[in-house]
Amino acid sequence: MSTSVGTEGQKSNQPLGQQAEFLAEKMGEVRREISKAIVGQGEVVDGVLMALLAGGHVLLEGAPGLGKTMLVRTLAQAVALKYSRIQFTPDLMPADVIGTSMVQEGGDGRHILGFQPGPVFTNLLLADEINRATPKTQSALLEAMQEKQVTVAHTSHQLDEPFFVMATQNPLEMEGTYPLPEAQLDRFLFKLRVPFPGREDLNDILDRTTQGTTVQVRPVVNGPQIMDMRQVVRTVPVAPHVQEYVVKLTLATHPEGRENLLASKYIRYGSSPRGAQTLILGGKVRALLAGRFNVSLEDIRALLLPALRHRIILNFEAQADGRTTDDLLEEIAGKIS
Amino acid sequence: MLFGKTTEQPAPSDVSGRASFYVLKDAWAGLSSADRAKDPPNLASLQQDLSGQNCSDELHGTLGTLKVLRQRILANIVLDGWTEWSICILIGLIIAGAVSAKLAGVLILAAVLLVIGVAVIFTWIWRTRLSTYETACRLDAAAGLQDRVSTAIYLCDAKDSDGIVQQQRHDAILRLAKVDPRGLFPVQAPAAASHALVLVLVFGGLFVYRINHRAPLVALLQTTARSSLVQSIFSPIVHAMEKDLERTIALVTLKPDPQADEVRPGEALPTADDLWQPAEEKKPDMKDAMPQDMMNQDEDQEGKPEGQGNPNAMPPADQQPQQGNNGQPQQGNSKQSDSQGSQQSLTQKMMDALKNMMSDPKNKQNSKDGQQQNQQNAPQQGGNPPPGSQESDKKGDSKGSSDQKQNASKSAGSGAGSQKGTNEMLKEQAARPVNATPDRVALEATGFKEQTRMRVDTETGTARMAVKDGSAQTEAVINGAEQENIPARYRLYVQRYFEHTDSGSKSSSEPH
Repeated sequence: MSTSVGTEGQKSNQPLGQQAEFLAEKMGEVRREISKAIVGQGEVVDGVLMALLAGGHVLLEGAPGLGKTMLVRTLAQAVALKYSRIQFTPDLMPADVIGTSMVQEGGDGRHILGFQPGPVFTNLLLADEINRATPKTQSALLEAMQEKQVTVAHTSHQLDEPFFVMATQNPLEMEGTYPLPEAQLDRFLFKLRVPFPGREDLNDILDRTTQGTTVQVRPVVNGPQIMDMRQVVRTVPVAPHVQEYVVKLTLATHPEGRENLLASKYIRYGSSPRGAQTLILGGKVRALLAGRFNVSLEDIRALLLPALRHRIILNFEAQADGRTTDDLLEEIAGKIS
Repeated sequence: MLFGKTTEQPAPSDVSGRASFYVLKDAWAGLSSADRAKDPPNLASLQQDLSGQNCSDELHGTLGTLKVLRQRILANIVLDGWTEWSICILIGLIIAGAVSAKLAGVLILAAVLLVIGVAVIFTWIWRTRLSTYETACRLDAAAGLQDRVSTAIYLCDAKDSDGIVQQQRHDAILRLAKVDPRGLFPVQAPAAASHALVLVLVFGGLFVYRINHRAPLVALLQTTARSSLVQSIFSPIVHAMEKDLERTIALVTLKPDPQADEVRPGEALPTADDLWQPAEEKKPDMKDAMPQDMMNQDEDQEGKPEGQGNPNAMPPADQQPQQGNNGQPQQGNSKQSDSQGSQQSLTQKMMDALKNMMSDPKNKQNSKDGQQQNQQNAPQQGGNPPPGSQESDKKGDSKGSSDQKQNASKSAGSGAGSQKGTNEMLKEQAARPVNATPDRVALEATGFKEQTRMRVDTETGTARMAVKDGSAQTEAVINGAEQENIPARYRLYVQRYFEHTDSGSKSSSEPH
């Protein structure tokens, strides 16, 4: 993948304060480049960029035709990263994802057993309709997403950094699908819901896609810069009361607590510690993207739903009452001061 | 720290002001350490009180601003607490002023409580005062600074090696300069100030009123208690409670006598009139339980000669009408009692007289005739009265000849004959057999069903009333003792009824 940015490693020697300003500036440019191809969906684009800078993965959920695949492809162009796509189907095997060992012919004519990397060896991976693959294939991504490596034939292979998985799933056609297990859901930093575009956005989409005009997305940042930005993100300070608020939120989602009446009624399993980490990390990125150098309570509240909605499992009573995770999380957050 | 240094421990016997101060100081330190132990470790930094010495020079202005804000917040808290405490004191004063008779003591107590409350409020607020960090958090929330100032205060003593803390500090100071922090935290009147003002006015008015008047609530309660409505409501209850209490006391104090209900040979069966007599008079064995003065009174009346009794001893109430009608009513009874035994009570004597009277209607007629003769002879004897006859008329004692005694005994039985219709009642009663009721039937104050058991009293009848059991008896006589059993709220109607009946009978008896 070509990197025409030409700023690789230039900002690493600068103070973190300036790097933070550089990050905010560059991410603004990336957002503008993406907006050339993606109409609207501002929250989804921001969520994807935050997850990219926080070092997590994103699960996009939305109806077909809303531009999920288009978003991933545009992002790959804007950040100048290697991009690959896997269309998950029921007959997809783990080896089709992570690769396999094959007999290969060497230069001297001898045949050796060599590793053939799968499509997971990339920077930006689009796992399209991930819930249509079997759990066995879905689990093939677990190690790659968390450890940034794959193990084949007792040999671990490191993935290139940054490694960023964007998975999509269709909430409508649920027949013949395999819902993601909780272990894999927990490895996604955010679960973003792609909404249907509004009236103006829909008109804009029609204008851009039906008049024969082509959109050229300019690469703004590259992989090493993104890695530097990830280091900058982790230096953003968090006040104690903000961190305490995150802890309270996370604990409030657990039904075991005596004071968590709502959670004990509707929630079967609460958020994992990864949820609290997600809130803090996402808050740091959001603060930097907003031009701030500290995490605020507003950042935590804004990231509550995308960070925790897929980490909470509702019980039967919640489903019977028609309660959703978003409703419960907002209600829980409203009770915590 | 205020109490951070170590202190000298006084000896146990050294009880002085300094020792007390040290004790209080140690207790304070213990409370402080206990509170700190409760705080989570990550929240300990939230309560740090920054002195500004270790902070960056850039934040000194911010710390000064926060100090002013903290003073204003504390002032508002003090005002709120003091106002609420004053409201409590004023409410107590108003209540006490409306109830208590001694207003001066209440005022002194209120003043003491007010001073103590203010001291407690100041101590508590100083104990739980806001730290600089908490003040910064409040400022962030009020000014919408998105936790910039609080983060900067939290990192005020951090070594900024990376530069991002410096950026954050600059950002916080820059944003803080754009807002007016003192305008966000004004020293304002408490929310309950209007309530306190109203209470002050009320108490002032009450105080002025109390200068010349007594407690208004007490006066109101007394006026209400004296009202006829309240008395009519509560008097039956009180009366019933008193009767129950007396009955309970009598049951507890009296010794059970198994022979009390037995009819001894030679002793008259209890008549229906026993139902209307007090327990002390009905049961001779209960005489032991009577008060000593009443026993002495009976003994005086029985043992002493007639006319030489104690002039202060009043005759029984049921004998007074007889005395009004007949000047020598007790003579026959006393002689009869002497013949039966000295221990027989006056009531039993009267019972016997009544029994004799009811068993021999002819004697009644004779006694009536004799009474008329006595009444006719009395003016003739008035010129030369026998010695002691006037005294006996005054004192209720009797002394005279055997004829007079016999006449007196007969006239005692016809004492109620002065009332209209009593003769007819006596005739009807004489025609019916009188069944003795072995057991005492208690007449409840509120039980009108018990009135069906009432027997005709031919002795002291003052009025008549129809009863439910018309087949056995159609009329009952209400005397003074029975009126006590009528609930107070019905007495007026009963009285009107009897007055109406009485007037009707008078008009019907009068010859047209």
